[in-house]
Amino acid sequence: MEKYPLKRTGSPLGNTSPTYQSVNKKYTNENNKALYTAYDDMIDITTSGGGEAAARSLDDDEAMQYSISYGGMQDSAEIPGIGQYDDFHTIDWQRDIAHDRMRHRYLVKKKQDSIWNLIQGVHDACSGWLCVLLVGLCTGVVAGLIDIGASWMTDLKFGICLQAFWLNQEQCCWSSDETAFDSGNCSHWYTWPEVLGSTNKGAGSYLVSYLFYIIFALLFAALSASLVRMFAPYACGSGIPEIKTILSGFIIRGYLGKWTLIIKSVGLILSVSSGLSLGKEGPMVHIACCIGNILSYLFPKYGRNEAKKREILSASAAAGVSVAFGAPIGGVLFSLEEVSYYFPLKTLWRSFFCALIAAFILRSINPFGNEHSVLFYVEYNKPWIFSELISFIGLGIVGGIIGTLFIKANIYWCRYRKLSKLGQYPVTEVLVVTVITAIISYPNKYTRMSTSQLIYLLFSQCGISNTDGLCDYNRNFTDVNSAIEIAEAGDGVHKAIFLLIMALLLKLGMTIFTFGIKVPCGLFIPSLCLGAIVGRIWGIAIEQMAFYYPKSWMFTGECSTGDDCITPGLYAMVGAAAVLGGVTRMTVSLVVIMFELTGGVRYIVPLMAAAMASKWVGDALGKQGIYDAHIALNGYPFLDSKDEFQHTSLAADVMQPKRNDMLSVITQDSMTVDDVEILLKETEHNGYPVVVSRESQYLVGFVLRRDLNLSISNAKRMVEGICGQSLILFTNGNPPQTLGPPPLKLKKILDMAPITITDQTPMETVVDMFRKLGLRQTLVTHNGRLLGVITKKDVLRHIKQMDNEDPSSILFN
Amino acid sequence: MRTYALIILVTWMSTTVLCQSLSDDKRCKCICPKVSIVTNNTEIVDGERIRYVANVPPNKCNCMDVVITKIANQLNGKEGEFCPRCQCKYENRNTTIIKVVVIIVIWIISVLVIYMAFLIILDPLLNKRMKGSYQEHTNEDEDSSPGPMSHDMTVRGNVLNRVGHQQDKWKRQVREQRRNIYDRHAMLN
Repeated sequence: MEKYPLKRTGSPLGNTSPTYQSVNKKYTNENNKALYTAYDDMIDITTSGGGEAAARSLDDDEAMQYSISYGGMQDSAEIPGIGQYDDFHTIDWQRDIAHDRMRHRYLVKKKQDSIWNLIQGVHDACSGWLCVLLVGLCTGVVAGLIDIGASWMTDLKFGICLQAFWLNQEQCCWSSDETAFDSGNCSHWYTWPEVLGSTNKGAGSYLVSYLFYIIFALLFAALSASLVRMFAPYACGSGIPEIKTILSGFIIRGYLGKWTLIIKSVGLILSVSSGLSLGKEGPMVHIACCIGNILSYLFPKYGRNEAKKREILSASAAAGVSVAFGAPIGGVLFSLEEVSYYFPLKTLWRSFFCALIAAFILRSINPFGNEHSVLFYVEYNKPWIFSELISFIGLGIVGGIIGTLFIKANIYWCRYRKLSKLGQYPVTEVLVVTVITAIISYPNKYTRMSTSQLIYLLFSQCGISNTDGLCDYNRNFTDVNSAIEIAEAGDGVHKAIFLLIMALLLKLGMTIFTFGIKVPCGLFIPSLCLGAIVGRIWGIAIEQMAFYYPKSWMFTGECSTGDDCITPGLYAMVGAAAVLGGVTRMTVSLVVIMFELTGGVRYIVPLMAAAMASKWVGDALGKQGIYDAHIALNGYPFLDSKDEFQHTSLAADVMQPKRNDMLSVITQDSMTVDDVEILLKETEHNGYPVVVSRESQYLVGFVLRRDLNLSISNAKRMVEGICGQSLILFTNGNPPQTLGPPPLKLKKILDMAPITITDQTPMETVVDMFRKLGLRQTLVTHNGRLLGVITKKDVLRHIKQMDNEDPSSILFN
Repeated sequence: MRTYALIILVTWMSTTVLCQSLSDDKRCKCICPKVSIVTNNTEIVDGERIRYVANVPPNKCNCMDVVITKIANQLNGKEGEFCPRCQCKYENRNTTIIKVVVIIVIWIISVLVIYMAFLIILDPLLNKRMKGSYQEHTNEDEDSSPGPMSHDMTVRGNVLNRVGHQQDKWKRQVREQRRNIYDRHAMLN
């Protein structure tokens, strides 16, 4: 019996083929028997192997061995549900990866047998790439759908293109000629007052427009909130904290399902169009992960194996960011830096491929008509002065402060919502927030336009085609190709700055209350917008300084030629990166996303400086980024691999049971079905160690509660003669006595390679094992005898306790 | 609901009077100051811009080919001075995709809204009538093991039954999700 686990535990992660080979050899080579001295081993071999019989049909025997011992594909077909997990449970990475390896080995063995098996083998080998290809395709298409739908519906708040209702304002005026540009209006596009028959001028029509704006905002938000409530409550929020938790090995059933996908996509279109202060980038990651989860069911290799499925989900997350920002590399790095937990190189390449496909598809759909996959793509090629780096670092510091402020306020508000009566009125809350946002937003033209358009405006340079108040300088354009001259700011700029400051305050305030309401809502766009406003104002200030004091030491003589040496748009970009960095605490992926947005490698250093400064300041003021803060608020069982465990406790302090309790164990061959059912009823553990006998407490393996339940109920139905008095055997042999009802053999559900530690192991090591190996539980032994169990829940609680937080807040089963 | 009525009306209208110019998929857009900036020297740029759009091949997307052909008579030979102030950009789009996508989005939203209305208004009425059988049905299903019992049922029941069974399962899941989020506030706060 014990020689299996002994052989396997040697290298649970390494290449196992030699060990299995040797295990199989023992059936053919009778001499090997002598090596094993334990008496039940002898029984084992004589009963199941039987020398010649095994030698005759080696292949069949091997196949059976795999399927029986390690629950491969055949096994899960036998008892439905074995090898899967319940809702709100943690997965066992080790077990799932071992399952996959066995399945793979079985396929490789079978490959030589027939053409069909060969095809199966090839299909299995390429199914990972095929799956991410499909995920990329679907993500691109869905993102295109959302982009086009949202831009159309956003403009529906202002008017309609009567001749072709499916066009938004920009598209409606696509080929109309010689219009005065600043109003952006044309004869095909009818504003709502015009539809109702009045003119476009005067206070009356302003009021009608205002009213329509509010009504449409309210309608969209109400639809979004009620669809979410009715069909898929899991579709609300940004989804990134939950995706992080799921990727770290947690099961939330239905979180990545079909309905969540549909409702999140539709709800996202509606909530973005309602003018709320939210973005569609974070939810896009959730949508991509839903697609990844749904498509992985086409490939049993991934669909049935939770650990393998997470490889596909990591790639999907990359595709999500890739389509959200048109930044494939940024997406891969985001998946690596921010969401993924287990990220082998294989997944890196697949993520790369998936992000590439998704970006390509979205780009060919061309949702914004600007040949890019985001609305606020800008192209820059202006140099920056070295001394500007000080300003950029300053922006980074401001970004860190705004980010921390935002996190603190938002978490406070979310906690208030969670604990107070406010949480009982989710739809009303959405409506109230929408009405307030709409009423305050409309009068200010910078908040009236969609946030992406505002970001685009703030990022772009003041060229000849830009007639906004922000570009009202006292300058004269004579040639588009020559450099823009530096000029004094006109009245328009001052007015724009005032409006922008109002917009900043409004956006900051509204985003705090918006992030967390029960509609799909993301955080990237509002944070980018906040940063862009701050950066633009800062940039204009520096620019005016350069105009009035061109000889100052700050500009190292570069501004004395009369060219516009300072680009406020660049400051807006750096500011956007800084605030986003302060909110999410991303660094590498953020910089890459930003530079993919602008297509200029030249600005990597400013962006890096700002992102770094913002992270430092943010980390100094508050420990967690917004996603980690939300994970902590919700109490998801997320064992952060970034934190360090700095306490000196030992495994014995954390282990269950405590000093005077009894450890619930199952013996390998002396408990009846009734005994086990009583044990299952009386205790609530999710798994039980199996020991040789209660007296010796020598460990045999570990069996999960779910598997035990399923197998017993299955056996009672399917196998004749199984009753309450049947013995449950975790051994291969028959019981000593042959009287009474037939025994129930459950060796196939026994995990014979549980990870064990001794009671004197420092918790630092234990926590590391949990993080790096993705354990679900570990068994604690003392002098070789089983002493207790440490589960992930115990570890998380212990960490909370050590950090003086409430350990009971963790959501877990 | 009012929007949908309007949209249906507009669809109807648009099929009859679809203007050719709205379905152009390529354009060259030039943005220029007013012509008076070169003809009348006293005036400086007042922020006003005019845009000129033409459907020309990409290599002809420049001021000379797009703008000057339209306003040559106003410029009095000052093209050389006017043209550098114009910015031209070639753009393309696909109206068919936009049309299809927007119609799909409207369809999905309408279907969902109708289904939601059905679930809110009609379903409680229907369920009240079939309370007895429905209750039994639920209990049977609560026995979560998908063994021979559920197998039997799928074989016995017709397609409608199966759909109803799936729907009940889904409803239970949504109820569970609602309890987690809206009542217990355990998740997604």
